[in-house]
Amino acid sequence: MSMQTPKQLGGIRFGLMDPETYRDLSATKVITADTYDDDGYPIDMGLMDPRLGVIDPGLECRTCGQHSGSCPGHFGHIELAAPVIHVGFTTLMRRLLRATCRECGSLTLVEEKKEEFRDQLERAEELGKDPDTVLKSAVREARKQNTCPHCGSPQADIKHEKPTTYYEVENVLASEYSEVIAEAMQPDDEDEDDEGISPSELADQTGISLERINQILGGEFRPLDEDRRALEKALDVDLTEEDMNKLMPSDIRDWFEDIPDSDIEVLGIDSENSRPEWMIMTVLPVPPVTARPSITLDNGQRSEDDLTHKLVDIIRINQRFMENREAGAPQLIIEDLWELLQYHVTTFVDNEISGTPPARHRSGRPLKTLSQRLKGKEGRFRGSLSGKRVNFSARTVISPDPTLSLNEVGIPDRVASEMTITINVTDRNTEEARQYVANGPEKHPGANYVKRPDGRRLKVTPKNCEELATKIEEGWEVNRHLVDGDIVIFNRQPSLHRMSIMAHEVVVMPYKTFRLNTVVCPPYNADFDGDEMNLHALQTEEARAEARVLMRVQEQILSPRFGENIIGAIQDHISGTYLLTNDNPHFTETQALDLLRATRVDELPDPDGEDEAGPYWSGRTVFSLLLPDGLNLDFTSSTGEDVVIEDGELLEGTIDEDAVGAFGGEIVDTIVKQYSETRARVFINEVAALAMRAIMHFGFSIGIDDESIPPVADEQVDEAIDNAYDRIEELIDTYEAGELESLPGRTVDETLEMKIMQTLGKARDSAGEIADDHFSDDNPAVVMARSGARGSMLNLTQMAGCVGQQAVRGERINRGYEDRTLAHYEENDLSAEAHGFVENSYRSGLTPREFFFHAMGGREGLVDTAVRTSKSGYLQRRLINALSELEVQYDGTVRDTSDTVIQFEFGEDGTSPVRVSSDDDFDIDVESITDRVVDAEFDSEGEKEAFLGRREPPTNLSERSEPRFQEVESDD
Amino acid sequence: MVDVSQHELVPDHTVLEDAEIDSVLEEYGLSRTDLPKIKLNDPALPDDATPGDVIEIVRDSRTTDTATSYRLVIE
Ligand SMILES: [Mg+2]
Ligand SMILES: [Zn+2]
Ligand SMILES: [Zn+2]
Repeated sequence: MSMQTPKQLGGIRFGLMDPETYRDLSATKVITADTYDDDGYPIDMGLMDPRLGVIDPGLECRTCGQHSGSCPGHFGHIELAAPVIHVGFTTLMRRLLRATCRECGSLTLVEEKKEEFRDQLERAEELGKDPDTVLKSAVREARKQNTCPHCGSPQADIKHEKPTTYYEVENVLASEYSEVIAEAMQPDDEDEDDEGISPSELADQTGISLERINQILGGEFRPLDEDRRALEKALDVDLTEEDMNKLMPSDIRDWFEDIPDSDIEVLGIDSENSRPEWMIMTVLPVPPVTARPSITLDNGQRSEDDLTHKLVDIIRINQRFMENREAGAPQLIIEDLWELLQYHVTTFVDNEISGTPPARHRSGRPLKTLSQRLKGKEGRFRGSLSGKRVNFSARTVISPDPTLSLNEVGIPDRVASEMTITINVTDRNTEEARQYVANGPEKHPGANYVKRPDGRRLKVTPKNCEELATKIEEGWEVNRHLVDGDIVIFNRQPSLHRMSIMAHEVVVMPYKTFRLNTVVCPPYNADFDGDEMNLHALQTEEARAEARVLMRVQEQILSPRFGENIIGAIQDHISGTYLLTNDNPHFTETQALDLLRATRVDELPDPDGEDEAGPYWSGRTVFSLLLPDGLNLDFTSSTGEDVVIEDGELLEGTIDEDAVGAFGGEIVDTIVKQYSETRARVFINEVAALAMRAIMHFGFSIGIDDESIPPVADEQVDEAIDNAYDRIEELIDTYEAGELESLPGRTVDETLEMKIMQTLGKARDSAGEIADDHFSDDNPAVVMARSGARGSMLNLTQMAGCVGQQAVRGERINRGYEDRTLAHYEENDLSAEAHGFVENSYRSGLTPREFFFHAMGGREGLVDTAVRTSKSGYLQRRLINALSELEVQYDGTVRDTSDTVIQFEFGEDGTSPVRVSSDDDFDIDVESITDRVVDAEFDSEGEKEAFLGRREPPTNLSERSEPRFQEVESDD
Repeated sequence: MVDVSQHELVPDHTVLEDAEIDSVLEEYGLSRTDLPKIKLNDPALPDDATPGDVIEIVRDSRTTDTATSYRLVIE
């Protein structure tokens, strides 16, 4: 087994390649367009020449002697019959043609100017500015020169016809010059003062002899340069026409060869690595066979790669060109062939050039040539290099499992025995490793592969496993199955923030889905309607250690986005704690213990009192058992209720979303910041468990009847809506009578619309209030809305009272037919119902017309979300690309890879949002922090700590090795 | 014309003395051109700033009271 020696890259150099280098690198010259002979062997000096590398197994490379798989492939070359332009450099070539002298090749700028641009280039580089602006202005300056300052020859302008044709544009004497002059000498018919000009007058004005003038007028003498300019000035005419002279690639090559090295540096080209004439190719490199492998179809026919097809075209034309030239074919034919050769080489490099028809396959499909392999989402850069596919990963549907800890993930046994972790066998784990191997690949904690110290990999099979196990020794590697407690990385796309990828501990389970605790749904933005997630097994000890310390779910409870917890109770957990604490219900001993059965609490405190059923414990007391000792909190929940917690006892208030919820639940947030991540994890797990027992104790379900209101209330709602209709009718009447007064800054039409919208909005609100009055406090929809578990009072209003006005673009529905929304209404009907007011409730059901309006409003929402996600995705991609290389340095600055400072201190304050508790009321909660510090100071334990230095509680312990639901750290 | 530099949302921009510049560059191990840039036509700049000057910007901060950064004036 050969080991590859690791090599270090000294550097990467970009530049143009010398045709001589192509020839030196070439393994063979390619001269025939054929690929394989009749026996299926590659033809010598053909496109599949075995010196270009091998792809068929069994054959040997004639260049390096290796077989397919280890032979990297070798470049060949084609000697082009005539030079052709490389499409990738056409703009640079245009610049050079415009900026340099046609005769001597030097940049048409005086020495001082050149120096000036050299300085500017240097400065632009220092300041990290785009050097292109300097280069452009240098070219603009040079192009202005009509004559070369070095050799004095006149300079023609260059016209570029895309993609690869260049013309020299010269002003020459127009062929009908004598007619133009004669015409200009005639008096102007429309201008009475103009008497024309006689030949003798013209001779006087121009200083040309009369005889010459007559010769010119007779077409016998061509007035050149000075004479022409004098005539043009005297007669105010243009005697020139444009003459386009096509520059052949060979002309351009000769031209570029004359450009001195010092001048191309001013134009931003590194003369050490690149010569401009190399942009015109005389030799075409032929990519190795390994870069364009042919595939054998089912019927035994070979199908060639697109690049090979293109190369065949190039060689054919190249040969025809040479044959024709040797046969002395007319210039016109040669030029046609030259252009054809240029076309093929151009499309070989890039087949998506605008203005050039793409080269097509026989089937009509455009060929995928060099540029197409690199460009775009599926190209080599974005598709193969930035986005690679990985081994040791799994993907399946997710489902919830409330019995798991939030740090855990349930993994199907079939995944666990397919995905492996590599362990290095040492003297301390030899026995363990042997046991895995002895179990074989089929029995669960087994092994699939082993690697001997000499690097050979052996597959573990049910047959050889026993024997293989005895051979395992230090220095071997064993690919063992995933087992409970292993750390793996879990991810849900789109990965929009860092909590989209977190480390979990494995729990191997039956069935086919990944299982996760519902409290980690918010960070992943996951639900269970068919969502799939990815899982990655970590392969090195360093990776596993880093994942455990930095990426484990409990380390991600606080979101760096807003500095508060993103993991916490959700949905039924919140309904559960609400039911448990809202009316502070009483529980018997059995009931209380049942509520706490899934927590670490197995002993109750003294009962809160006694009622007819005997001693009782209140809901708040039960909840308090989960709180850490010494926790003091006082906050107002969004329902306006005060919640008071003293020394880990909930004294007052209802536990709702503001207390324990994800997205900033006060208690969770405080525990993470004042105690530890581990304590917070235990708390969240236990709140979820307690809440589930509580909600099951009380029973919680919702149905259609929970949204119905008594007939009396229905009548009240109808009355409220009718009143609104009446008021709108009044408004319309005033409007039609022309008496409606417009609001400031609004037209009368707008005012009417606004007032109608307002009235209808009020109508719906009062319908909501009426409905609200008839719901009891224990109505499940009300419980969910009040506790913040799910839904809002508005949802309830729409279900029970009235759905209300449908809107498109924030206005009543106004479009559809001419002057009306639907064919069911009179034209110009301004009433509520004709413009999308839905007076029914969801429960009572919508009329067909209401339903249609509702669908219109609903579609706007869908379109908005679709547009928003695509827009924000693109924005995110650009931000990530722009910021990905920024790094916080040890001196606290944020710098990019070229060490330029982006921020002098991270975030301008050098603090992490998750390490600071601040809100609108206090910038930083300095007081409570100092309180805590001072408290610790006077404690004897704290004094000791102060002397010994603060000891961080270990975070890298598996839940398997620490008490999961028992008393946690002493800081509790 | 409104003098934006007097607006409460525009932080203080002051031109640094050479000695101060040296100490800033020393502290961060930078050469002048490594500093973030500010265009000469930026209305927040003091009138006497010229290209090549280093500007000290002191912003209010919710967490650290003030935050200081430096920029190089360019054309
Ligand atoms: Mg979903
Ligand atoms: Zn080879
Ligand atoms: Zn010249």
